[in-house]
Order: sequence, then C-alpha cells, then structure tokens
Amino acid sequence: MGFIRLVVILAVVLTVVYWSVSLYSCSVRREALEDAFDEEHPNGGAKGARDTYIANGMADYETGLRKKLIWLVYVIPVLVVTGILIVTNTN
Amino acid sequence: MRYVKFFLRLLPFLIIGAGLHYWLPQHDVVRLTSTEVIRQDFSGFNRIFYAQADSGNTEQVTRDLRLINTEKQKTWFLGFFPRESRGVMVYRNEDTGWIWPPYFKFDSADLQAEASALISAAGQEQWVVVTHYGWRNRFLSIYPNAVGLRAIDSPDERIIPWFNIFFFIFAGIAALFMRAAWMQFRERTLDPLFERAGDRMDEVNAGVAERRSRLKRLFGRK
Repeated sequence: MGFIRLVVILAVVLTVVYWSVSLYSCSVRREALEDAFDEEHPNGGAKGARDTYIANGMADYETGLRKKLIWLVYVIPVLVVTGILIVTNTN
Repeated sequence: MRYVKFFLRLLPFLIIGAGLHYWLPQHDVVRLTSTEVIRQDFSGFNRIFYAQADSGNTEQVTRDLRLINTEKQKTWFLGFFPRESRGVMVYRNEDTGWIWPPYFKFDSADLQAEASALISAAGQEQWVVVTHYGWRNRFLSIYPNAVGLRAIDSPDERIIPWFNIFFFIFAGIAALFMRAAWMQFRERTLDPLFERAGDRMDEVNAGVAERRSRLKRLFGRK
C-alpha cells in the first residue's frame, strides 16, 4: 500500500539524514572544544588535561539540548507532510 | 569534442531543471469552461506522465480520467513581456496518492465538483487560479495535473509563489549544509586517514629503497 511505502521510504531516508547531521554536529562540537582548549593553553597544558577537557565537553554535549534538537529531522518532515495533506485536501 | 564535454556537463542541470519545472507547483489564471471524463488508454510513452488510479482503487491498464477544460489568460510571453491574449488549456485531475510527486492529493472528485461549481460564461467571467504541476503536450497527449482551485475577483491578481520561495530557500540551505558536512568530514576524517596512509607509504617506500640498496650492495659488485 502507498502509505506503508511512504513510511518505509521516509524512515530510511530520514535515518540517513539523522546520522549525517548528528555525526556532523558531534564533529563540529569536538573541533570547537579542541580549539577552545588550545587557545587557553598555548603551550599545550598539563599532560592529559586536553583529553579530559574534551571528554567533559563531549559528555555535556551528549546530554545537552543541541543533540536533542537533531530529532527535529524526524519531526519536521512529518509535520510538513501533514501540512501539505491538509492544504491540498481541504476545499 | 569540447562541445560534447560542455553538453555532458550541462546535462545534469538540464535534467534537474526540467524535473523541477515539471514537479513544482505553478499558477494559471483561467476561466473554467467545462469538466469531463474521458477513457484514457495509456501508452508506453505517456504512462510516466500520469499518476495512478484514485487512492482507494486498483490499478488497471485503462481507466477514466477527469479533465478540466479552461480558457487561460496568457499573461507573460516567456515570462518577460506582458500580453493580452487567451488560449485554451486542459488540466487532468488525478490523485497523486502517497508517494510522488508529494502533493498528497486524494480529493480529485471534490476538486472536480469545485471546478463544476466555478464554471462561468464568457462576458461574466469568474476568474480562477489553478495550482498545477506538469506539462501539456499534444504529441504525447499529456496534461498538467490540477492540484487546487481558488476563485479570484480580477484576472490581474498578483500571485506569490510561496511554496517555491520556501522550496528554493530550503534547497539552498540543504546544499550549504551538505557542503559544510563534506568539508568537515574531509578535514577531520579523510585527510588524517590519507596522511597516515601517506606516512605508511613513505615508510614502505623507504624500506623498499633500503632493501634494494642492500641487494645492490650484495649483487652489484661481484
């Protein structure tokens, strides 16, 4: 049936998009943490401090709002489909 | 040869452009003259330009097709020059169903009723904006699919293509994001990978060179 096909296709495509966006967001966050640490410690800092700093920052990111916002990748298309459905089919 | 290359490079853009021109919604100002149903015997050439049977029905080789006959206000020649002339235009009225193009249209019968209600005579025109996608082609016998109707007071009404505006803004943002994501992936993942691979290659080459020189020393002078 058409509806099931749509759900399957959307699920596959949006999962790919979700993974790409979250990998990208994670990578950008890590890079920002690295840059911030290097700026504060031009001489490299204490041994292991950089790794701890980045690990802490990433732990914050994992529980933060930004990561949760990526779920919008699933929410928005469903809302758009619903919106188009309503606009097209009301007279 | 150079022209062939140029054409091949142009080809993807032409295909994408034609696809967008076909699938994105466009608006015509028309006067509805009649509605009708014809039996349509699809051929291999024009089948692709039609949607499927109404969403609750089953697909057959031939089926009835709802048509909306109109007199269309031709406003802009090639989109640049305003002109005062009219021509006829025929729209099909089909469910697009759940998949493609994603208009999610299931109300063909209602739209046909709406079209019948808006029919007007010459001289006392009721102008209507038809939202549609698709092409009219006489040789292939294909029609644009009407998606929505809206009665307007004057044929000079200014129509703002909101959907297309948002669509192109979103497409631009998506393209920028994909570019940024690719650059990030290259900078953080691919480049270090190649660097490591390059180092390994250097080591291997150095090893080979050393072994070769050892061999040379061994066999070179007898």
